[in-house]
Amino acid sequence: MARLIDLANVLRSKNAGALLCTLDIMFEEEAVYKKVCDSGVLEPGLIAKLYGISDNEVSIIPYDVAYAIKITIPRLHKSGDPDDSDIYGAQQHAPLLDIEIPD
Amino acid sequence: MQPLRMMATTGMLGYGYTEEAFRRGIAQGLDFIAADGGSMDPGPHYLGEGIPFVSRQAMKRDISLMLEAAIDQGIPMLIGSCGGGGSEPQLALVRELVEEVAAEKDLHFKMAIIHSEQSRESLKARRADGKIESLGPIAELTDDVIDASHRIVGMMGVEPFQQALRDGAQVVLAGRATDASIFSAIPLMRGYDPGLCWHLSKIIECAGQVVTPRTGQDCVLGTIHDDHFLVEPGHPDKICTRMKIAAHTLYENPSPYHLEEPDGTLVTTHAQYEQISERVVKVSGSRFEPTNRYTVKLEGVKQSGYRTVFMAGVRDPILISVIDEFIAACHTRVAGEAASLGIAPNDYRLNIRVYGKNATMGPREPLADQVGHEVGLLVDTLADDPEISKAVLAKARYALLHTDFPGRKCISGNLAIPFSPSDMPVGMTYEFSVWHRMEIKDPLEPFPIEMIEV
Repeated sequence: MARLIDLANVLRSKNAGALLCTLDIMFEEEAVYKKVCDSGVLEPGLIAKLYGISDNEVSIIPYDVAYAIKITIPRLHKSGDPDDSDIYGAQQHAPLLDIEIPD
Repeated sequence: MQPLRMMATTGMLGYGYTEEAFRRGIAQGLDFIAADGGSMDPGPHYLGEGIPFVSRQAMKRDISLMLEAAIDQGIPMLIGSCGGGGSEPQLALVRELVEEVAAEKDLHFKMAIIHSEQSRESLKARRADGKIESLGPIAELTDDVIDASHRIVGMMGVEPFQQALRDGAQVVLAGRATDASIFSAIPLMRGYDPGLCWHLSKIIECAGQVVTPRTGQDCVLGTIHDDHFLVEPGHPDKICTRMKIAAHTLYENPSPYHLEEPDGTLVTTHAQYEQISERVVKVSGSRFEPTNRYTVKLEGVKQSGYRTVFMAGVRDPILISVIDEFIAACHTRVAGEAASLGIAPNDYRLNIRVYGKNATMGPREPLADQVGHEVGLLVDTLADDPEISKAVLAKARYALLHTDFPGRKCISGNLAIPFSPSDMPVGMTYEFSVWHRMEIKDPLEPFPIEMIEV
């Protein structure tokens, strides 16, 4: 087993507009990217559970050309709302770090 | 067709670029230079107040080199989303800076100012016609929301830029515009393939972000040919890599394959990325799928109230062990004390965030039970009346400092307060009230063009 934090060379979050948060997981090597994709671990059910949202709010798109997986979820609050605490949405990726991918 | 060459000087007017990269780009012979001047990333405040999130001095420096070179070379200079949000005061500030530079350097040219603020009446009429829909998880736009909004801008496409250029403008200062429209307007006018135009524009609008090493913002050059485009850094010591160019459509978009513009969608599914030299990446195969309706994104903000902020640390382990209950007790105490001042619960919002526990992710934090040896409290109040905001914050500070909790031994004070004065009034704050899409027939109509001889 290996954790995503050890496999990915980029693991980031950012606003995709004021309403959505998009999480990019990028890999240096195609083989590692393929291993993560083929493992089937990254599926909407898992992301929904990690972020406390429902499966149909999760979009997951593999992007072969850049060895990247893009996950988009609704923000907890609109960017800049009174209860928001991450205007740029740049620190919402941590729950992904410990996801384990089988060897 | 002859290749068309463009340069994006910086990803954000005011973030800067190196003079070396700029001069080198200009020397190659360009068809136009442009820069994006805005973003909603810094949040709703700047659109609300009509102020930039970069300094006046930094914007003027970026404008100065661009304007002088554009006039000298006889090429167009385009700036979109002026001043950050493209609102009237933000656009007026950029215009003022351009006029100042022109006066200082004795430059003369025809300039177009394209306005993008939307009147409440026009939006209500379009809403009544069913032409406005939400862009994601936000409430439907109602007349009440429109009335409550402080400022609303529409995001123009390429057409207003093209009209301004056809009317003879050499310099175009646009209000809120899609980032890619700033760069696509000219190549589309000249008949280049729309898929290539939009894709190149999407890549270079962030300028220095697609170059390696990423040492601050800098110029990026784009060249459109009939069946492909090239991207290269302006700076001789920097490179563009295939991976970074390909990865750029991921950035801040929900999908890297489908990128929406007012009159259609850029589809990158079949795009090919080739490293043709150490510094240059070639892209082909991008497509643009037009839609049969023209839509303009609307961004609007309403006031959320005057904010006052207070920060403090907690190091006492007994207090940290009961921090949630303690904060709940403080909320109750503050409500009672505010009532004694004649302040009703609806007159204010009090928010107490616990850094070190779950302040960054709130209810999404999986490790909220793993709290360290100290936590930081960030306390803020919002109220329509700035005096109420300050009064409630002061009550909250006192409550947090001196409220009892089970097992308390630190009876002289619960907080380490780092500053005196401790309470920071930050003025009016805003929140997004409009994040919608409006269907229109004429892409020029919501964006009046003003022509000026400078």
